[in-house]
Amino acid sequence: MNTPEGQVFDLGYRHYDGPREGRGRARRALFVNGIRTCFGLGRGAWAKVLPILFLVSVMVPAAVFAIMAGLLGEVFADVLNLPGPQDYYRVVSPILLIFSAIIAPELLCPDRQNGVINLYLVRPLSSNDYIVSRWLSFFAVSLVFIYAGQVVLLAGLVMGSQEPLAYLRDNWAHVPKFLLAGLAIAAVTTTIPLAAASLTTRRAYASLAVIALFVVSTAIVAALNSVECVTIPGQERSAASQQAAPESATGQGVVVTFGVSGESQVDDSNTVCEPEFGLAGRWARLLDFGGIPLQVSDLIFDEYSEELTPDSDQIRLPAAVSIVWWAVVVAVPAGILWGRYRRLVT
Amino acid sequence: MPPLLEASDLTKRYGSTLALDGVSFTVERGITGLLGPNGAGKSTAMKLFLGLLIPTSGSATVMGEKPYENVMARTHLGYMPEHDCLPPAMTATEFLTHMAQISGLPPGAARSRTADILRHVGLDEERYRSIGEYSTGMKQRVKLAQALVHDPEMVFLDEPTAGLDPVGREEMLALIRRTGREFGISIMLSTHLMGDVETTCDRIIVLEGGTVTEAGEVAGFTAESETVFIDVYEDVESLTLALSARGLKAVQDGVSIAVEDVGDNEYDQIRDALAEAGSRLRRLGPRRGRLSDIFRDSSE
Repeated sequence: MNTPEGQVFDLGYRHYDGPREGRGRARRALFVNGIRTCFGLGRGAWAKVLPILFLVSVMVPAAVFAIMAGLLGEVFADVLNLPGPQDYYRVVSPILLIFSAIIAPELLCPDRQNGVINLYLVRPLSSNDYIVSRWLSFFAVSLVFIYAGQVVLLAGLVMGSQEPLAYLRDNWAHVPKFLLAGLAIAAVTTTIPLAAASLTTRRAYASLAVIALFVVSTAIVAALNSVECVTIPGQERSAASQQAAPESATGQGVVVTFGVSGESQVDDSNTVCEPEFGLAGRWARLLDFGGIPLQVSDLIFDEYSEELTPDSDQIRLPAAVSIVWWAVVVAVPAGILWGRYRRLVT
Repeated sequence: MPPLLEASDLTKRYGSTLALDGVSFTVERGITGLLGPNGAGKSTAMKLFLGLLIPTSGSATVMGEKPYENVMARTHLGYMPEHDCLPPAMTATEFLTHMAQISGLPPGAARSRTADILRHVGLDEERYRSIGEYSTGMKQRVKLAQALVHDPEMVFLDEPTAGLDPVGREEMLALIRRTGREFGISIMLSTHLMGDVETTCDRIIVLEGGTVTEAGEVAGFTAESETVFIDVYEDVESLTLALSARGLKAVQDGVSIAVEDVGDNEYDQIRDALAEAGSRLRRLGPRRGRLSDIFRDSSE
């Protein structure tokens, strides 16, 4: 008879003779760890608050637009010019930029600040493996945040439509377009914040620098692209003939109107709007780092909602310039990132 | 078969500072101490063997491979840095499982190795707490555990006893001895404390200002030296003269006389000299060499 008596054996030290999967396993582990870090997994509850907040805030506008479109019907939705898939990135772009600025440095700064990087770099892993894995993990996380709203919007529009299947048949092309445009946006929102994070061990500095870069560049470009509208005097001259009509600054798809002083009604047909700084404003758009991927997105969709994208042909950059400049804006920070991590081992 | 570690004409320069100046040595299996004061080049030497640094000239090889050229050469190496290297927000279990995978272990094996190694370093209860809440001694154990979690053939421990109180230091040294003798993992251990080397290491390399000043078995350094000390109650001068007359190198040092280069024949002559001088002998014996002597000599 066996007696169920517990016995404790000291097994001593056991050597490991199982598989060692080398760089592939190391890269995968870093990639997964990067994704978990972004979502605050494996850490306290507070670490999860911010990612959830961002995820909700990129999806809520989509849900609202979709519900409104469903309630109002397609005709009214058109009249109201509700944002569709082609405009959605412009709507959530500020959230995406702030999200990347805050979360991306989390992947690089603590490793250097805590010294964990020295443990990574003595393992079967090169500095290139490290940085590429980290880049890919934030790229993947960005895509989740970028596509989340589009998926909600599409689902809402399909379900709210009278004939869902017909809607899908007519609008299926939006799907590859938003997938492609999302890649263009994620490339920028991943590479610029990570490059900034490679220059400092302090997360807050990197985040602030990136937010400042996006906000300041957008503001400057918006100012340079302010549109001056002049009312051409009609036959019956109104009281204020040279009345300068609403002057508006454009940027990030938000029309900011200031200096409205018209006491007389301005007849649209007599109003001519011209960019105040002409070509300078147009080329200054190259400096709008947050807006560059949106320009590429517009090209991919080949559709512009007048309300949300008030760009006239005069201030829009040529397509080839937008695409080449987008590539430069991704490649230069990528070079900085690569160079910084190469120099860790000297 | 290539030696475990080999430095040949290994030179590392940081800007105008020469950290290692053409050093050559080999290291075999066992526990090797790298002894020297701060700034002697100990950490630099370790980082070159780990591939964290690239030599300015010469080479550092591990089992015939250069880890700074071939990252796979690091598969069987472990490293415990001197400074902080732990993420405070992670638990010890999660961190070690992650590091084991970074070393190439599949997730399942990484988890079971983590449990094993945490038990060996004595961190059973605390393993699910965040590392940020640990004491210095516990952090030091996690640092050692992450260096061992993938079962390396060789680990580099950079000042593993730094910042520990005497009890913690003794426990850490006991753990290191166990790792070397029981687990069969070769160790290179850097320290500026002679005691660490004397109690723990099999061999020693003394680094001083970027060059190797001494190297060999620790037993050799602590073996009987050829110097004999003679203490007498009186007549120190006449005994010194009697010893010198017999051609011995006798140096008076207070009430003692140190006689150098003493072999079997010289003992007979010391006996004769004592009889001639009529000095009453109080003590006669070989001086035991201590590592502190070579360290003192080399730092002069």
